[in-house]
Amino acid sequence: MIALKRWCSRQSTSLLLLVVCLAMMVFLSIQTQSFFSLKNVVNILEANSYRLLLACGMMCIISSGAIDLSVGSILSFSAICTAMALKGGLSVGLSIPLALALGGIMGAINGLLIHFTRINAFIITLATAFLYRGLSLIATQGIPITKLPQGFRSFGCGDLFGMESGVTMALLVIVLLTPLFYHMRWGTYVTSLGGNPEALKRSGVPIGRYRVSVFVLMGVLSALAGIIVTARLNSAEANAGLNMEMDAICAVIMGGTALHGGRGNLPGTVIAVFLMGLIRNGLTILSVSSYYQQFITGAMLLCAVVIAEFRERKSRIG
Amino acid sequence: MMKKWYSLLLAAAMLFSLAACGSSANVEGTPAPQESTPVVSATPAPEGEGADSGLSPTVQQLYQEFDAAMEAQIGTMPEQFGDIKVGAVVISLTNPFWVNMKNYYEAAGEEMGIDIDVQTGTTEGDTASQLDVLMTMADMDYDVIIVSPIDGTNLIPGIVKCNENGVKVINLGPGVDVDALEEAGGHLDATITVAFTEQGETVANDMISRLPDGGQVAILAGLAGAGQSEGRTSGAKSVFEATDNIDLVAVQNCDWDATLAYDATKALITEYPDLKGIFCCNDTMALAAVEALTAEGKEGVLVYGVDFTDDARAAISAGTMTGSMSYSSERYTKAALQMAVMLNEGETFENNIYLPLTLVTVDNVNDLEGWK
Amino acid sequence: MKQSILSINQVFKSFGRIQVLHGVSLEVQQGAITAIVGDNGSGKSTLIKILSGNLRPDRGEIQIGGRSYHGLTIPQAMDLGIRTVYQDLALDNFKNSVENIFLGSERMRGPFLDRRAMAEEARQLLEDIHVQIPDLTQPVNHLSGGQRQGVAIARALRRPGSVLLLDEPTAAMGIQESHSTLQMLSRLRERGMTQLIISHNLHQVFALADFIYVLRSGHIIAGAATADTTIDALQDLILRRESEVEEV
Repeated sequence: MIALKRWCSRQSTSLLLLVVCLAMMVFLSIQTQSFFSLKNVVNILEANSYRLLLACGMMCIISSGAIDLSVGSILSFSAICTAMALKGGLSVGLSIPLALALGGIMGAINGLLIHFTRINAFIITLATAFLYRGLSLIATQGIPITKLPQGFRSFGCGDLFGMESGVTMALLVIVLLTPLFYHMRWGTYVTSLGGNPEALKRSGVPIGRYRVSVFVLMGVLSALAGIIVTARLNSAEANAGLNMEMDAICAVIMGGTALHGGRGNLPGTVIAVFLMGLIRNGLTILSVSSYYQQFITGAMLLCAVVIAEFRERKSRIG
Repeated sequence: MMKKWYSLLLAAAMLFSLAACGSSANVEGTPAPQESTPVVSATPAPEGEGADSGLSPTVQQLYQEFDAAMEAQIGTMPEQFGDIKVGAVVISLTNPFWVNMKNYYEAAGEEMGIDIDVQTGTTEGDTASQLDVLMTMADMDYDVIIVSPIDGTNLIPGIVKCNENGVKVINLGPGVDVDALEEAGGHLDATITVAFTEQGETVANDMISRLPDGGQVAILAGLAGAGQSEGRTSGAKSVFEATDNIDLVAVQNCDWDATLAYDATKALITEYPDLKGIFCCNDTMALAAVEALTAEGKEGVLVYGVDFTDDARAAISAGTMTGSMSYSSERYTKAALQMAVMLNEGETFENNIYLPLTLVTVDNVNDLEGWK
Repeated sequence: MKQSILSINQVFKSFGRIQVLHGVSLEVQQGAITAIVGDNGSGKSTLIKILSGNLRPDRGEIQIGGRSYHGLTIPQAMDLGIRTVYQDLALDNFKNSVENIFLGSERMRGPFLDRRAMAEEARQLLEDIHVQIPDLTQPVNHLSGGQRQGVAIARALRRPGSVLLLDEPTAAMGIQESHSTLQMLSRLRERGMTQLIISHNLHQVFALADFIYVLRSGHIIAGAATADTTIDALQDLILRRESEVEEV
């Protein structure tokens, strides 16, 4: 009983979000006929699989006390390089690892720059965001690369268990990330990077290696998201992934991860992504103008952080 | 409030054009279907009819010719039709052109008694979220969805889904890449668009007619790879190159951007002091070019744009700009809705429908009060 | 006299043009408590950073385990058995007591953290040093200063070491908590733990330490066994030497 109570209090953000989610689903089911259909649920999952990947990576980044504004740019540049490689005749089996490696390298550049210059991650990744986006524009000259081979498209968005394969990939990443983040050294050190990097360093842990590894993971996940987006649209373009880092940051914070790092909340992040997807889907179904979507997202984010802050203060006093 | 006003105006315009349509058919006979898309000449109309409609005779005539041309392509609107629910996916609701289109869609829907929802992605250029919207709409109870994609391929999975669910799809404006769509196993039920090459050709021809002695001309294009920009540029280019005494000295991409167009114009005029005319692929760039010419103290250079925005209208009235390509957005949405109804009633459209275009110039701009 | 386990010889350190340590030498005896007393800015923090591997001296040597070094890295200092309790305690406030005690040296079962074994060992360690923390799963920022100090010391003691370095162990603590911390250190000495304590409070450490060095402006100005001297004599010595130093 006590254990249950403690579990509930630790998972309170996730539970609260879940309640909001359920309330919204009930509301939408009553209001519209098309919401509560299997098709629509699949729609929501498919439309949010790549957002989920980005948010999971961003959760690790933020819990390590950093931020990554270059996510959307990494997504676009790695997608463009893949598309160019595919167009150049490289096989699908080689192009996809190439894309992931490229994402990892761009992430590593972020991590190394932050570690060695000791300049704030915000500034460094703001700069590399422009840098990588610039590379995308230079590479494509603004012209989307389209008509990609069928093999690539079936990898990125082909049918798997009746859903686009992106959904399966997102699930796989969650399943792998959960033990890595909660039950292995990596997660412990990554959150300590946000909690007290000096303490970690003084414990003899090579912090640079962990700092870089989080950014590499983010880069790889961005590239994976890029593959899914490109395969769905059958087109790689320089402005793909624009502002996606902001959606990811929003979901992470709404999901109960503090912006200053030190702790991460993976289930909360997953539910928050789903909730934001639900809002988008609900507004479309209710035929509400997209103007309201940003307003509602902003209001929810504000509520989430205010609730989290007050609970934090209360527990510190208590 | 705004909406009410629009619909009132629309109703008046509609009544008038219907009446006018009938009479013109009697006098001139039904226009024969044309191979190429009709260009409506914007010569002042004879005075007399409809003085109290608030529209100038020129506009009334334009509407008449427009409707006639559309009828030739689409056919007549059925008198009675079954219940229909139409969805429209537009490019953005933060760009004035598309905001206007949304308003015209809704006004036309109200007037024709059609249920219409206009939706869009979160931000302009967000190809993925525009697709998400269409994917969701495909599973709803729409009979017809009118799509205006951000680029040639981003909506393809959504269109395929509509095909599978038996929802009819009309492509309005920026074109879907038909080959890629076919490859993905989908099809469009109808297409209504503007012939971009023709916009370029019309401007180029008008410019040449104003330059009897020929001379140097230049083109400021939009974003490289954007269909509108490529079409307008190639149209104008082919006409210029086919004319002996015209020398096309530069084609420069300015990405629809005013600042880039301003700087490009300054550079052009320095390099080619005898430049006689500039065709800009939209009005934003054309107005910037006018600014640059004024700043350089250069007079008499012909500047043309596309879109006929309010600012362009003012500049043409003031004589600083020579002309701008225009078409009626109001009629555009109305025609699309009519096509939606006809598709729903079982009709098919084999060919692409092209919107009649109008070139507004210093000669006719003052006759175009009320044109939209 | 007991054997010296750690000594430093003529250590110099400057930051830019500011000379912080002017040839400091001292010895730490096996099984004893050695204290370095000095005011803020005397160079004692720099000294402890050099010993714990956070800083490299400009000149001089560090002798430990029969070998001599010109400077240490953090992992090197740890391998040599130097265990440091920093003044700020170097705790990750968002982690609980168990996680902090094992930070950097987690117990594993295969690739996974062995949380149960760690909790058991942490409970035992804290019990050994008489630190009471009712809920080991609470984040350490919910604990009192004394409890946090206990967690930091437990972390230092977890792996067998030869010297325990304590930087201002009673700073920012109430009288009650200072007292119990000093008691804890005294008990550790009984168990044979060699300690080097840095403090600004001569009175507080005089009762505890076996040897006292007084550090002033980067110079050791006095050094004595507490058994051979009194606090007054030491204070006289400090005052006399201070004037000498200032003349130089």
